[in-house]
Amino acid sequence: MSADFVLEGVRHEYRAGAPALAAIDLTILSGQHVAIVGANGSGKSTLLKMLDGLVFPTSGTIRAFGAPLTEDALEDPAYRRDFRARVGFVFQEADVQLFCSDASDELAFGPLQLGLPRDEVERRVREAAQQLRIEGVLDRPPYTLSGGEKKRVAIASVLTMQPHVLLLDEPTNALDPRSQVWLLDVLDEWKQEGRTVVMATHDLSAAAESADRIVVLSEDHTIVADGTPEEVLLQRELLLSVNLIHEHTHRHASTAHRHAHAHGPGADPDLAHGH
Amino acid sequence: MSSPCPCCRPDITPAIPRRRGGGRSLARKTADSVARAVTDVLQNEELAALPGLLQRLDPRIKLLTLGLFAVTASLVHSVWVLIALIGVTIVLAAASRVGVGSFERKVWLSAGLLAFLVAAPSALRVFTPGTVVVPLGPFSLTEPGLMGVATLVTRVVASAGFALLVVWTMRWSDLLKALSAMRLPDVVVATLAMTQKQILTLLRTVEQIHLARESRTLTRGSARADRAWVTERMAFVVRKSMKTADDVYDAMLSRGFTGAMPSLVRLRMRPRDWAWSAASVALCAAILYVDRMVGP
Amino acid sequence: MDIVAMHIPDGYLGPQTYVILWIVMIPIWAIAARKVKRTLKAKQIPLLALGAAFSFIIMMFNVPVIGGSTGHAVGATLIAIILGPWAAVIAISIALVIQAGLFGDGGITALGANCFNMAVVAPFVGYYLYRFISGDAPSSRRRVVAAGIGAYVALVAAAIVAGIMFGIQPYIAHTASGQALYAPYKLGVAVPAMALEHLLFFGWVEAIATMGIVAALAKSEPELLQMKPAAKPLRWLWAGMAVLILLTPIGVLAPGTAWGEWGGEELDSLVGYVPANLEKVGGLWKAAMPDYATPGVSNTMLGYLIAAIVGAALCVGIGWGVGALLARRRGGEVGSAAEASPDPPAAQAG
Repeated sequence: MSADFVLEGVRHEYRAGAPALAAIDLTILSGQHVAIVGANGSGKSTLLKMLDGLVFPTSGTIRAFGAPLTEDALEDPAYRRDFRARVGFVFQEADVQLFCSDASDELAFGPLQLGLPRDEVERRVREAAQQLRIEGVLDRPPYTLSGGEKKRVAIASVLTMQPHVLLLDEPTNALDPRSQVWLLDVLDEWKQEGRTVVMATHDLSAAAESADRIVVLSEDHTIVADGTPEEVLLQRELLLSVNLIHEHTHRHASTAHRHAHAHGPGADPDLAHGH
Repeated sequence: MSSPCPCCRPDITPAIPRRRGGGRSLARKTADSVARAVTDVLQNEELAALPGLLQRLDPRIKLLTLGLFAVTASLVHSVWVLIALIGVTIVLAAASRVGVGSFERKVWLSAGLLAFLVAAPSALRVFTPGTVVVPLGPFSLTEPGLMGVATLVTRVVASAGFALLVVWTMRWSDLLKALSAMRLPDVVVATLAMTQKQILTLLRTVEQIHLARESRTLTRGSARADRAWVTERMAFVVRKSMKTADDVYDAMLSRGFTGAMPSLVRLRMRPRDWAWSAASVALCAAILYVDRMVGP
Repeated sequence: MDIVAMHIPDGYLGPQTYVILWIVMIPIWAIAARKVKRTLKAKQIPLLALGAAFSFIIMMFNVPVIGGSTGHAVGATLIAIILGPWAAVIAISIALVIQAGLFGDGGITALGANCFNMAVVAPFVGYYLYRFISGDAPSSRRRVVAAGIGAYVALVAAAIVAGIMFGIQPYIAHTASGQALYAPYKLGVAVPAMALEHLLFFGWVEAIATMGIVAALAKSEPELLQMKPAAKPLRWLWAGMAVLILLTPIGVLAPGTAWGEWGGEELDSLVGYVPANLEKVGGLWKAAMPDYATPGVSNTMLGYLIAAIVGAALCVGIGWGVGALLARRRGGEVGSAAEASPDPPAAQAG
């Protein structure tokens, strides 16, 4: 299995002395479904943006599909077109991502930028709209849509580029329970289609459900755990130390009941439950 | 039982207290005007989707012809011809099913009233000398003065009518397509599209800020405290705007943005568009001709 | 939605005025677009959109002044400080277009005029005053004060220009009986009215809003307020010239002729004789626009204005042309190094 992404010694600082990522070594294989978990501020979003060539390491290297992923490399129009088509990014807030005047323009934006012929673009738009069941809202401007519809339009607008890799930033945030279930189904479909999925989230139960690999980022912006969901999620002490879960104590009659739980949409309070 | 952590405490939403002493608070005023603006925009979309006369036209033609009417309104000299033009706006509003009542209300109550209030003093002799029509000593009203006020008010109402017809019968996305087809640079059209989007997002934020404040305020604060709060909120909006700009830019890059904003829809002229164009040009010419004959 | 005080609706300005202002705005927009493209590059679209959205939103806030009164600010100086004056031209123009086209507030024929006031006069005056008063390496306190003064003066300046636009209407377009066809107040009333309104109230609204925001930003994001460098005197000239052009019709009001600029007839009446050579030379040059009146336009005021614009345009055109020729000889791009502006504020942590 080939590696889609290889990061070595990657470090990123937005401002001097304020690192967002520190000493990251990570390899993501094609077809893997990875969840990057960590508390807010641990650098999950930054890592994701790095995978999409939106930010670049201050030191260290990153390779994508076998070639170095640098700012210069992306200056080349052919490389850029190819890379952008291969990697799709679904942002945390759908609003950020929807900037066209109506939904069908939104879906068409990517393929049009890729320079595809009109009828091919129209075909992809129809397909993606069908897949995500948004045919009805295609001619409406994004601001008239509900939260769930916006999210679906956002995802569809990425899918029309037919990417091999899908990067999702906090996908379950702001989704109602039914939509969360729907999203997990979509992620499953993609897994079966063989796409690589990298998801940044602090929602441990969504991570457990859909990922086959979990990478934990600490508040020092380094990787402190990397393994299957079973392996990682049982390490209570570790999860506590990175502030992904916390403990509180309450009493039942005369016994003190201590348990750890996570917060966030769909958080499972029984996770790492202990007496 | 020890107290649960703050995140586990159930949500308590305070009720918005009834304000004593009348008059809306600062926060409420802004929140209200924001809410009104947002509802207006959403309403526009609905109106623009109705099967009326103007809605069915090609957006370029609509923009051009309504613009032609507005320019005609600015060229006319006679009050009576202006009143006729107001009649034209009413007919068009009715034919486009946008609700003549609310249309006239909006046009007269905002644009018309303002024009009247601004211009009224100019009817006084001290401002516009001429034959006195209403003798009130130093506050006498002159004939040219009164005619001037009437001309201004009718002109403002007519122009506002045509402008409102543009807004109420055209979807924003269609307006942009028309501008783009009329060779406005891509960058400008793209920026307009994105700005509108950002405005609505920011409006929601602004509304929430003000409502949140409203729901936690029991007494009216001092002007200084209010000022400090307002400017702090505006700064917050600046910060959020800059951050959002970065995110939006990233999102565009991520979808391969190269600088152009292409669109799928092709605009086509149909027989009704030609018919309407011819009719409008003819009507405007006729109006100007009549004005030349009638007017001062 | 309440709109800003100096917003001119349709119907107040006659075509003689609003068409000229549209014509004036087109090259200004073109220049602004070019400058912005060079400095912001691909990021210009989201930044401008945000600037425009923000400008629009600022116009919606109710700013408390005294007692229970509130007013609306324009925010032109603030945007010029954050994005630079040329970007402000575009951002505010876009906000005005959206106000008119999406919300139905604000005029369509008067758009050129409104853009001139709020998107050109206000940001440029405010920005250069801000820089001038701030000096080099200012403390935040100094910035705040500079921003306040800049915003106040800028708004009053824009208000005066708007007042002039209103005030020349009765001269330009009226019936035989003296009835005004558009805005009914003459210069003597319109200009002081607009000026006072803004000196006493709206200027303060603007200053309060601008100072407050700049103070807050100076604390949290000082880089947003960093100076865009090298305010070339050239730009002062542009802005100053624009204002002067509009003020020229006032010359019609002043009686007599400017000292020293006497023609043969005046000399004769003043002194009693005309120097022989003057007579000879005086007849040689038949000006295209004799006495600063535009042939074919009978109204003096309008003629004056057109003459001023044509004159200024010629000067600028010739100057630009010469400059371009010289630069090409030297092998550089016209205005490239001199007019470079820095990168916009760097991306912040996500």
